[in-house]
Amino acid sequence: MSVAGNGAQPAPSGSSGGVAVKPGRHREASLYHALAGAGAGGGRTLAELRAAALEAFEHSELPVWRRSGFWTTSFTELDEELLVTPEHPDAGRLVDATHMRAQGVPDFVADAIPDRPRAGRIVQLDESVVYVELDPALAERGVILCPLEDAAREHTALFEEWYSKRLTIDRHKLEAANAAFWSGGAFLYVPDGLVVEDPFEIVYAISGAGVAQYGRTLVLGGKNSAFKVHEHDLAEDFEEGQSLHASAFELYLQDNARCRLAQVQDWGSGDVFDASTRFVGVGRDAYCHWLPALLGGHLVRHHLELAVSEPSGDMAFRGLFFTEAQEHLDTFAVDLHETGPSGGDVHWRGAATGQSRASFEGLIQIDPGAQKTHTYLQIHTLMLSPKARLDAIPSVLVSADDVSASHGGTVGELDEASIFYMASRGLDRPSAVRLLVEGFFEPVLSQLEDEPLEELVRGKIAAKLAAAREDIEAYAEAR
Amino acid sequence: MADLEIKNLHVRTEDREILRGVDLSIDRGEIHALMGPNGSGKSTLANTLLGHPSYEVTEGSIHFKGQDITEAEPHERAKSGLFLAFQYPVSIPGVSVANFLRMAINAKRDEPIRVKEFGQQLQHAIELLDVDRAFTSRHLNDGFSGGEKKRAEILQMAMLSPDVAILDETDSGLDIDALRTVAEGVQRLHDEQGLGALIITHYQRILHYVKPQFVHILMDGRIVLEGGVELVERLEREGYDQIRQEFAQQGEVAL
Repeated sequence: MSVAGNGAQPAPSGSSGGVAVKPGRHREASLYHALAGAGAGGGRTLAELRAAALEAFEHSELPVWRRSGFWTTSFTELDEELLVTPEHPDAGRLVDATHMRAQGVPDFVADAIPDRPRAGRIVQLDESVVYVELDPALAERGVILCPLEDAAREHTALFEEWYSKRLTIDRHKLEAANAAFWSGGAFLYVPDGLVVEDPFEIVYAISGAGVAQYGRTLVLGGKNSAFKVHEHDLAEDFEEGQSLHASAFELYLQDNARCRLAQVQDWGSGDVFDASTRFVGVGRDAYCHWLPALLGGHLVRHHLELAVSEPSGDMAFRGLFFTEAQEHLDTFAVDLHETGPSGGDVHWRGAATGQSRASFEGLIQIDPGAQKTHTYLQIHTLMLSPKARLDAIPSVLVSADDVSASHGGTVGELDEASIFYMASRGLDRPSAVRLLVEGFFEPVLSQLEDEPLEELVRGKIAAKLAAAREDIEAYAEAR
Repeated sequence: MADLEIKNLHVRTEDREILRGVDLSIDRGEIHALMGPNGSGKSTLANTLLGHPSYEVTEGSIHFKGQDITEAEPHERAKSGLFLAFQYPVSIPGVSVANFLRMAINAKRDEPIRVKEFGQQLQHAIELLDVDRAFTSRHLNDGFSGGEKKRAEILQMAMLSPDVAILDETDSGLDIDALRTVAEGVQRLHDEQGLGALIITHYQRILHYVKPQFVHILMDGRIVLEGGVELVERLEREGYDQIRQEFAQQGEVAL
């Protein structure tokens, strides 16, 4: 389904409550493909991988993605001067930034993240890790939290087994740039059998314009472990110039491990470009609950892939996004089942104000042999502006015959009857709108099951609504 | 001037004139019933009194507590003490009854209500209206039965303590137990808080549980007959048709 504020006619809301699925291809005009295979790692050393990525970087242009004429995500307006070039002295080797570690958490970062009990925290500012903290009791029990560049040296066996195991390095120039030039990074290892109540926080922060941040995260959950990871992506507001965050994230859960992974992304008012790939692999009897909250960035392209790789793995993939002003968000979320039996439950909600553009492609892919897979994908969108555009494209690729897979969704606008109802109770229009939008996001937001994060996201939603107030009024009158 | 003073009210929607000169006055502590056949303009009057944007006042005025509110925003009318219990309450997914009530109460105040005070008020209203405590943690009207929605309306009315409430066919679709609860709730709020009410209905049965002092009959956008409860009895005997015949002869309504 698809809806545009201008021109194109809206799709019927509540369409496709469920689609009967037979083996074969059932795809609408989708643009992206799942990684769905081995990554670039697999026996090559880090130096070899960096060299190969550099090769790909040199021989590629800034990426442009086009979907049948109606949707274009183009990074060509990104200033290439920003990217580390092959001539750059740091290209192809690790940056030694250990002297940066004592710098501590910058104020704009500390102010943006809830102060709450945590198991550990690692903060990367621009190109370097500036802060690492780990509960000593957990360190004693074998937990590792450190910059990934350190892990490459100090935990070589783990690093070489898992690094880039499922991530590619050469699909596009920015992915190659990350694989060639990454520095700092985060490595988290939770050993077998360990249950950690408080979250590990991984922070990528950008201090202003002119930064190219190549974030790289590797998280390993040992057998029977249980833990939480909260990633925060943020930037200091800036007026002029551009910055880039091109990151790669991988998380692997071994037998019966359980992880709740949440990400709050808000790059603020500066022109931050974000091209990131994230992969979560769920092992035998393991479970992952993954919830990205994508709340701002000038131009954002996310590939998010959650794969059940071994029998009886299960996952819940929730997400929300809210674009404003001139922002452009392009999200591809994959619910991948490589073996069965397996379970999946994908539920995303997105809203748009201003002249922003948001596209969500959701793909259920069930590989041959992934019998007894049961999964469902739903995407709900809410238009808050006549000039915004929201595309939601669910699709299903099934190569097994004993499965259930379906998708559904709705395209909505603010309901004037609800606003009048609330007005009759004394709530002014902005308050009523805020309640409706919060209510719209609530089924996903409440799944964070984490009060400080929920409050953080609610606050950001409220701020966006306040900023878009005139726009929302204009839309109401236009209708 | 009465608390709610409606004068010569003409209202149109989508190029159709629905109210054609309504005069009506309601004071705090008075219970009025407004009756009339389908399409006579009852719901239009209710929505217009709260400022629904689809209804345009073309002539006449609405005053409330001395202020001309003919053009006021809906939420301003509510804050000044008017209330509308909806015929079809909408659901507000993601917002609990209790949270919604707290926000509505705070909208009328300068300082947010204290948690304890709110809890006490809520407890009192729950007992008054015989609703389940768990009810208040459910999302407002989301998946509610018809009876639950109407109870939620009356619960909101009790919590917001309006001076004048308009109940738009609150009795429709209710079984006899729900009807009694709702009607007794209105009667108690009248007795305890001095609520003034305009009960809009086209059945007589709610009026067995709540006793109006004034009864108005609306036909073709005009109030054609006014009196006391004896009017209700007459309606029960004769039906609207007889009254229509009578006023058609006077040229007030169409046959």
